[in-house]
This record gives sequence, structure tokens and C-alpha cells, in this order.
Amino acid sequence: MSATVEDPPVTDRPAAVRLRDVGKTFRRRRRETTALEGVTLDIAAGEFLCLVGPSGCGKSTLLSILAGFTPADTGEVLVDGRPVEGPGPERGVLFQTPTLFPWLTTRQNVLYGPRARHALTPEVREEATALLETVGLADFADAYPHELSGGMRHRAAFARVLINHPQVLLMDEPFGALDAITRAGMQRFLLELWQRQRTTIVFVTHDVEEATLLGDRVSVLSGRPGRTKAVVDIDLPRPRTYEDTETLAFVTAKRRIREVLEQ
Amino acid sequence: MSVETAVDPAAPTVRTRERRQRSWRRSLVGAAALASALIIWEIAAYAVGDPVTMPTVQETARELLHYLTKPYPQVQGKTLVDDALISTARILAGFGLGTAAGLLLGAAMAGIRVVRELADPIIGVMRPLPPIAFIPLLVVWFGIGEASKVALIFFGVLPVVTIATLGALDAVPDELSHASRSLGASPFHTMLHVRLRAAVPGVITGMRIAMGGAWTSIIAAEMIAATGGVGFLILQAGNYLQTPLIFSGIAVIAVLGFVFDGLLRLLLRAADPTARR
Repeated sequence: MSATVEDPPVTDRPAAVRLRDVGKTFRRRRRETTALEGVTLDIAAGEFLCLVGPSGCGKSTLLSILAGFTPADTGEVLVDGRPVEGPGPERGVLFQTPTLFPWLTTRQNVLYGPRARHALTPEVREEATALLETVGLADFADAYPHELSGGMRHRAAFARVLINHPQVLLMDEPFGALDAITRAGMQRFLLELWQRQRTTIVFVTHDVEEATLLGDRVSVLSGRPGRTKAVVDIDLPRPRTYEDTETLAFVTAKRRIREVLEQ
Repeated sequence: MSVETAVDPAAPTVRTRERRQRSWRRSLVGAAALASALIIWEIAAYAVGDPVTMPTVQETARELLHYLTKPYPQVQGKTLVDDALISTARILAGFGLGTAAGLLLGAAMAGIRVVRELADPIIGVMRPLPPIAFIPLLVVWFGIGEASKVALIFFGVLPVVTIATLGALDAVPDELSHASRSLGASPFHTMLHVRLRAAVPGVITGMRIAMGGAWTSIIAAEMIAATGGVGFLILQAGNYLQTPLIFSGIAVIAVLGFVFDGLLRLLLRAADPTARR
């Protein structure tokens, strides 16, 4: 368990995501709310970074800025060295709800991205079939979203993003609405996937245990306005499984994050 | 990698079979309900014992078949089929134009703030007005020909479809558009294939409501100022106490209304997988 790194939380590995003094203020009916203030963070290529913080601290806003849905007011946002100017397929987004298109079958949902970009080749179709196999939905390729269970919908959303080969996966409390068993299944699925593909992942959650289980590092945000309080290294060995949550090292790491959160 | 061990792949076919059985059962029960309504009618007709007040089912059926091809009134009259075609043509023209205009206006209101602010109060005032209140005005403007009928249906359908379109577009979650954009779709592609597409079921539901209103309007208009159409026929039959023919006219409206709503329901099923059950 390495020491908590106080700011600036910067690593020496090549940064896939680079945030410098990012700030965001919302104006609604003459009331100003500062959601984020001076957030600085580097995320290395292939790193699994979790963002935790109290609700309303701007975690989701930060992710939305990275995804390109919301522009930052101040500061610099770079993904792979390029400033973020809008949404794009190189940054795959998984939302709190699976947001599948209800009028498309699972397979059509997966092929939506390539089709919209006019990149639908026979190879991509084959890849979609393989991806559906990977996420365990081969038998449900022609089912519609409302015919799938909650976990299946999330896995379909995964496949829909993965077919674009994103460099970064942005995940906004993706398993928050799932029941405990399905949630554990999805966490295992995500860990196995990351173990094989090593995509850079930014994972927003308010669940400290989830962050400890998944992340290489956990960035703790303070309450509103959100700013990086500390970045905690999780030195637990990989590959991790759900059983690791019962080890002493895991519990210690969890407590460390909780302490920072409650400071 | 098996997360949440795969559900039995045979399940969907079982579900389809169950659904088919259920729909058979439903059709049978529906037919039985209609049949019992006819039986009650028949019993009532015998109980009343006066064909002008309450003709029997078979009398009505005979009249209906007779006037399908024979004109009524005999001089200058039209057959039931002709009248039905006249009313249907008016409905189709007014409904088609009204739906098209409502779609455009609703989409414009959803997309352009000024249009919404301008159109909102006008729609708000127009919507509670019964379209038939405009019949005399439309007759003054357009005469008793086709134009006044089509205009009446148009003005009845327009606010309903506009509000349905606006509501459906407003209800599309932003996240659906965000997902589309971050999967690499252009803003235009997202507008067309996600926002508008997601609104289609709501628009069709609005069209079904508008269709019901359109039949109300057209029958009223044909009774007040027309020389043809099912409404005109029913009024003529009433003036001459031809009760079986009144019932025949009503039956024709029922069948036409059922057919048009059925077509819209088919459209809804095609557009919305969740409506297929």
C-alpha cells in the first residue's frame, strides 16, 4: 500500500487522459453552481482509474466533459494528446442506464456505431457476432432490449461500445442500478475484459468497495465544488477477483479511501 | 466468459408460442362479446316490437346489404358504398394534410425556441375548441363542397398531432442522443435516426387519437352541410324514419373506424417492438 499522493497527482507513464485545472460552473436562473474547480489529473494509457466522491461533487460532470457532451469552462482536457472538442467513438461511454435503442435488436444496437460512420463491412459484422459471444448474448442477438434482463442490457451496451475499439472507456456508475448479484457479475466481467484488452478506463462510482476492487488508482473528489482531494494507489495484485474483497490488504485499502473521503 | 449463466435459448420460442395462444384466446373472447351484443340487440328488438324504434338484426343486415349497391334516396341518392368512399376520401385528405402539418409544426416547436413560444399559446387556445364549432365558418369560407370538410378535419387533426409530436420529441432522453454521438454518429444522423426515430411511437399514438376526432368531425359536418357521405345518409334516413338504414350507416362508420385504427396499430407495432404482444 503506497502512500497517498497529495496533489499534483501525476504519473510518469504516458498520459492517455490529461486534465489541467478543469473548472465548470452551471448557471441556472441567476444562480451559479460551481460543479468543478481546478481538477488536475493524469491517467496513464491502460490504467484503470476510479473517481469517487460524495454525490453532487461533479464526478458525472467531469466524465461528461471527457466524453465531450459538456464543454469545460476553464482548463485543459486532452485525450491522447488532442483537446476534447465533442463526442467521438474513440472515447466509449457507458451510462448509468444502458441507453440501448429500443427499436433495434441487440445485434443492430451493436452495429449502430459502424453503420452510422459508414464503416459497416463483413469483417465488422463478424466481429459483432464474436463480441456478442464474448458478452454472453449470442442467443439474444435478435432480441429487443425490452426482452433482455438488466445485466444483459448492460452487456449489450458494452458490446456496442467495444466494437468501436475505443482508446478510453468512460463509465458513469454503470452498475449502480443493478442488484447485488448481477452487479458482482458485471464487475467480474469488466475485470476479465480489462485484463485482456487493457483499455484505459475512467470509472465513476460512489461505492468505495467497487472502486477498490476495480481501480489501479482511486481519485477522491471533494464535495461541491469538486476538486481532487487525493489519489490513492491500490497496490493489490492483479488479476483480482471478487474473493479478494475479504483479504486484509483489501480492507485496509478500502479504509484508506474512506478516510480520505471523510476528511 | 459466462456472466449470469445464459438464459435458456429455447425461451423466446416458448414465449412466442404462449403469446400466439394468448392472442387467439383474446380474439375468441372478443368475437364472443360482439356476438352477445348482437343477441341482446335482437332480444331488445323483439321486446320493443316496433321496427321504427328498434329494428331486428336481420332487418338491419338486409337493409345494409340492399343499400350497399342501391342508392338512397332513390332520386339523386348515392349507394352506401359511394357515401362511405366519399367520407373516407375526406378523412384521408384532411388527416394526411393535418398529420403532415402537425409533424412539421411539432418538430419545429421542439427544435426552435421562438417557434415554440409563438405556437404554444395558439395551440393552447385551439386545442380545447371542438372542431365542429367551426363548421358554419368553414362553410362560409369554402362552401359546402370538399374543401370545407377537408379543412375541418385538418384543423381538428393539426393540434392533436402537433402536441403528440412535441411531447414525444421532448420525452426522448438526452442520453440516447449522447450515446449515438459518442458511438460516432454525426449530429444530423443522430437527429434523424435517434431523436426523430425515438419519437415515432408517440406520434403514432397521437395519430390514433386524432383519427377518432376526425370521424366525429366529418360525420357532424356531413349532417350539417353536405350532399353526400355517411353522415348525410344517416341524417336522410333519420328524416324518413328509416331506422335500419341509420343503423347501417353507424355500422359502416364502426367498420371504417376499426379498419383505420387497426392500420395505425399495425404501424405502431412495426415501429415499436415493445408494442408487440
